[in-house]
Amino acid sequence: MASSDGLPRRIVKETQRLIAEPVAGISATPYQDNLRYFAVAIEGPADSPYERGVFQLELFLPADYPMAPPKVRFLTKIYHPNVDKLGRICLDILKDKWSPALQIRTVLLSIQALLSAPNPDDPLDNTVAEVWKKNEAEAIRRAREFTESFAMKGGTTAASATASMPKKSC
Amino acid sequence: MKKTPSGEVVIVPRNFKLLEELEKSEKGHGDMAISFGLVDTGDTFLTEWNGGILGPPGTYHDSRFYQLRIHCPEKYPAVPPEVRFISKINMTAVDSKTGVVNEKKIPAMRNWSRNMGIEQVLQSIRAEMCSDQNRRLRQPAEGSTF
Repeated sequence: MASSDGLPRRIVKETQRLIAEPVAGISATPYQDNLRYFAVAIEGPADSPYERGVFQLELFLPADYPMAPPKVRFLTKIYHPNVDKLGRICLDILKDKWSPALQIRTVLLSIQALLSAPNPDDPLDNTVAEVWKKNEAEAIRRAREFTESFAMKGGTTAASATASMPKKSC
Repeated sequence: MKKTPSGEVVIVPRNFKLLEELEKSEKGHGDMAISFGLVDTGDTFLTEWNGGILGPPGTYHDSRFYQLRIHCPEKYPAVPPEVRFISKINMTAVDSKTGVVNEKKIPAMRNWSRNMGIEQVLQSIRAEMCSDQNRRLRQPAEGSTF
């Protein structure tokens, strides 16, 4: 496995801990052929419009990690003011607020928290944020609808997203 | 592909590489004679792209704007993208019936490496328009499509 040669100890440790002591409602599994690349699933938090949904994400630790933040995005379609149509996430710790003291675990917890507390004042998707600000009930209804269509078992995209995700990354 | 001081070869996965390519293209710092973007801005797997090439000056392609379609397969960037012209063009590397670009005749596709991207392929196609076989080829009416 060429890509694992010389994998930094820090990444090895983080991975081991993610598997040994998983966070409730979150799973992160490295791909066999690229140990810097993780398949992630986050359960929608209770009392949020994402409740009962399971959201697939992908996470990559760039060469300069942990000096640079991980790259992470949603693969499951989600209606959320801080997530754009390509699943990119607007979260300060993934950008200027990143610190090497943070970890994969803290990043995923922050994303889970973002699902509980959408922040329409710092939007990535303006159309979604506008609905959220003008008519929160309608926004929540749409977010639920997306969750049901894409993030629940029997829903189309969550399952097919996993199926069409490249098993090998290269 | 990047090598860390410890000798680890870091491989950027397909989707993150394509996101980087998209973001670079959107910022528009690159070559102004070529352009590319997603066909559907919500295409999670970043598979289908529109491309554009401005014909190079000093050739029969001068000032023409060619539209292309680019398909990044699941194995990308282990393999190059598949490219076809939408705008009609008369060119040795392009199938005259379908507009499909023959990857054996485009240097960036023939000598593909995972450090290259859509940008390099479009630049290489544009450079081919200047080759001796192509620069003085009679061209179909502007605006016609395959």
